[in-house]
Amino acid sequence: MGAQKTGLLRTPWFQLTLALVAVVLLVVAPLLLPIPVNQTLARIGVFAVAVLGLNVIMGYTGQVSLGQIFFLGLGAYVTAYGVENGWNIALVFLAAVVIPGVVGLIVALAAARLGGLAIAMVTIALPIIGVPLAKRLSDVTGGSQGISARFSSAPDWTGLANDQWQYYLVLAIGGISFLLVFNLVRGKYGRAFRIVKENEAVAGAMGISPYRYKVLAFTIASMVGGVSGFLYMVVVQYTSPETLAFHHSISLLAAMVVGGAGSIIGSLIGGIYYVLVPNFTNEVAPTLTSLIQGAILLLVLFILPGGIASLPRVLRRWTGRSSRSSPPASSPPEASAPSSDPSPSTPPNTSPSTSSTTPPSTASVKEDSP
Amino acid sequence: MGTFIQLVVDGLAMGSVYGAIALAIVLVNQSTGMINFAQGGMAVLSAYLAFTFLGLGLPLIVAILLSVAASFIIGALIERFLMRRFMGRAEDTQVVVTVGLLTLLTGICGWLWSYNNLQFPSLFPSSAFTFLGAAISWRSFGTFLAIAGIMVLLQLLFRQTKLGLALRAVADNRQSASFAGLPVGRLLMVGWGLAAALGAVAGALVAPRLSLTPGMLDTTLVYALAAVILGGITSPVGVVVAAWLIGVLENLAAVYVPIIGHDLKIAVPFILLFVVLLLRPQGLFGRKTVVRV
Repeated sequence: MGAQKTGLLRTPWFQLTLALVAVVLLVVAPLLLPIPVNQTLARIGVFAVAVLGLNVIMGYTGQVSLGQIFFLGLGAYVTAYGVENGWNIALVFLAAVVIPGVVGLIVALAAARLGGLAIAMVTIALPIIGVPLAKRLSDVTGGSQGISARFSSAPDWTGLANDQWQYYLVLAIGGISFLLVFNLVRGKYGRAFRIVKENEAVAGAMGISPYRYKVLAFTIASMVGGVSGFLYMVVVQYTSPETLAFHHSISLLAAMVVGGAGSIIGSLIGGIYYVLVPNFTNEVAPTLTSLIQGAILLLVLFILPGGIASLPRVLRRWTGRSSRSSPPASSPPEASAPSSDPSPSTPPNTSPSTSSTTPPSTASVKEDSP
Repeated sequence: MGTFIQLVVDGLAMGSVYGAIALAIVLVNQSTGMINFAQGGMAVLSAYLAFTFLGLGLPLIVAILLSVAASFIIGALIERFLMRRFMGRAEDTQVVVTVGLLTLLTGICGWLWSYNNLQFPSLFPSSAFTFLGAAISWRSFGTFLAIAGIMVLLQLLFRQTKLGLALRAVADNRQSASFAGLPVGRLLMVGWGLAAALGAVAGALVAPRLSLTPGMLDTTLVYALAAVILGGITSPVGVVVAAWLIGVLENLAAVYVPIIGHDLKIAVPFILLFVVLLLRPQGLFGRKTVVRV
C-alpha cells in the first residue's frame, strides 16, 4: 500500500504536474491575497535566496560561514547607492551581484588558506566589522540612519499594485537564482563541492583542489547573497547598519540548518523559517525569541540533522521499514528496495560519521536510530 | 609619551581578556578538535552568575570565585550532555551546535536578567597610579596581572601535574589515551570545565568595563578568534602573545590613525590577520599540521 503510494508520487509525470501547479499557484497567489501576506511572501523569497547562498558554501561545501548577512547588506547598500545616483537598474543589479562577489572572493582567498574552521572564524568578523563600517561611511551609506531607495513601484502598464509587482520581481529573480544554483550543485561543481565537504584529502588526491573549490563556493555564495540584497531593497526599500547585524547572521545560519543543509527545498523552507518564526516568537514572548531560536536549532540538530527538508525521507524510511517487515519471507532490503525507492536505499557505503547532510543521507538516519 | 604608555597598558588589559577567551578556545580545540563559538556566551553566563551571587550579599571576590566554580561544572555538563552527542560528527555540524548553544545562552541570559545594561562592580579601584609620568589605571593593570597569573597557573597545571599530563595525552591522541586506561570522557569534561572557568574569570574582569549585557562578549569573541588564528591554534603561548599584540595595536591605531578611530578599531586585527594568512597560514607561532587520510 505505502509503497504504491510513494510509487505514484515518484513518477515523472506526477512530479511535473506538481511543479506546474506550484508555479501556477505562486503566480496567481498575489492577485488574490491581501497586501500584508504578499509582502510577507516577498520577504520569504528574499531570505530564501540568502539562505540558498549560504547553502552553497555551507550545506554543499561544508564550510561554516557566519558572514552571509554581510553580503546581503552589501548588496542592499550597493543597490541603494546606485538607485540614488540614478544608475540604470540593470547596472545596479549587476553591481549588487559583482561587488559582493569580489569582496567574497578576496575574503575567501585569505580565509580558505587555513584549513578546517578558519572560514567560520574569519567570516564571523564580517558583520561585526560591517556595522561600524556602514556607520562610518555615512556619505555613501547614510550612517546609522540608513538609506532608502524607491525604485520598485509598479509601472503603470502592468496595472499591478506595488506589493504585487515587488512579489513578481522577487519571484522571477529568486526563481532564476534557485534554478541556477540547482544546476550548479547537480553538475560537476556540485560533486566537487561534496567531495571537498566529505574529505579534503581525498578531494586533493582526485585532483580537486579543496582551496580552489572553497574559494569558488564562497564567491558564489557571496554573489547569491548580493542578489538577495538587491531583492531586499526591492521589498523593504530601506537599509541601515542594523540590516547586517551579527544576530541576523546567526539567524540565517539557524534557518539554513532548520530548513535543511545541502538542500534546495531546504533553502526555501529556511526562508520561511527565517521570516515567520521570529514573527511568531515576537508575538508569543518577545524576550524569549533568542532562547526559542537556540533551542529549536539544537533540537533540530539532535533529532533531525538533515533539517525539515529531510523529513519526508525520514518518514518514508519509517513507513517503508514497517511495511517491509510485515512480509517475513525474502531478505527485505535487496528484494523490495529497488522498486519502491531507488535513490535513497543504496546501503550507506560512505562512512556514517562524515556524511550527515548530503542528499542521499541514509547514513544520517541510520546513525540516529540505534 | 604618557598617553602612549597608558594606551599600551590599557591595550594589554583588553588583550588579556581576549587572550583568556582565546586560550579557552584553544583548550577545547586541543582536546576535541572543535572551535567553541559559545565560549564568550558561556563567560557572559558566568558573569551573570557572579552578579547574582553579589546580589545575595556575598563579597565580590567570593561571588567571582563561586561563579568560576559553577562555570567549571556548567562547562563539564555541557560537554557531557550536549557536545558528547555530536562527537565524531562532521566538523561543520559541531560548529553549528556551538552557535546554537551561543544563541541559547544569550537567550537564557536575556530571559533571566533582561537585555538591559547592568552595572558590575570592579575588583580593582577605579583610581590610577603614576608610572614614568603616565597615569595607569589599577583596573587595567589588575586585569592584566590577574589573567597573566592564571595563565602561569594553567601552564603549571599542564606541565607539572598528573592531571595536566592526562589532559595532554587525551588532546594528543584520544584513542591511545583510552587504551592507556585514562578516563577519556571525564578528562574531556575537565577540559571543557577548565575552559569555562577561564572564561568566567575573563567575563568577571571585563564586565565592569563593558557593562553586563547578554551580547557583551560577542565582539570579544571575534577578537579572541582573530588571536587564535594569528597565534596559531596549536600554540597556547602564541595565542596569548597575539591577543596582547591585538589589544595594544588596536588601542594605538584607534588614537594615532585617524582613519581607523575608536569605532573601526575592530578592523585592526583583521587587517593583520589578512596579511598573516596570505604570508604564513599556520599563524605566527603555529606549526604546520600534516593531514593523514
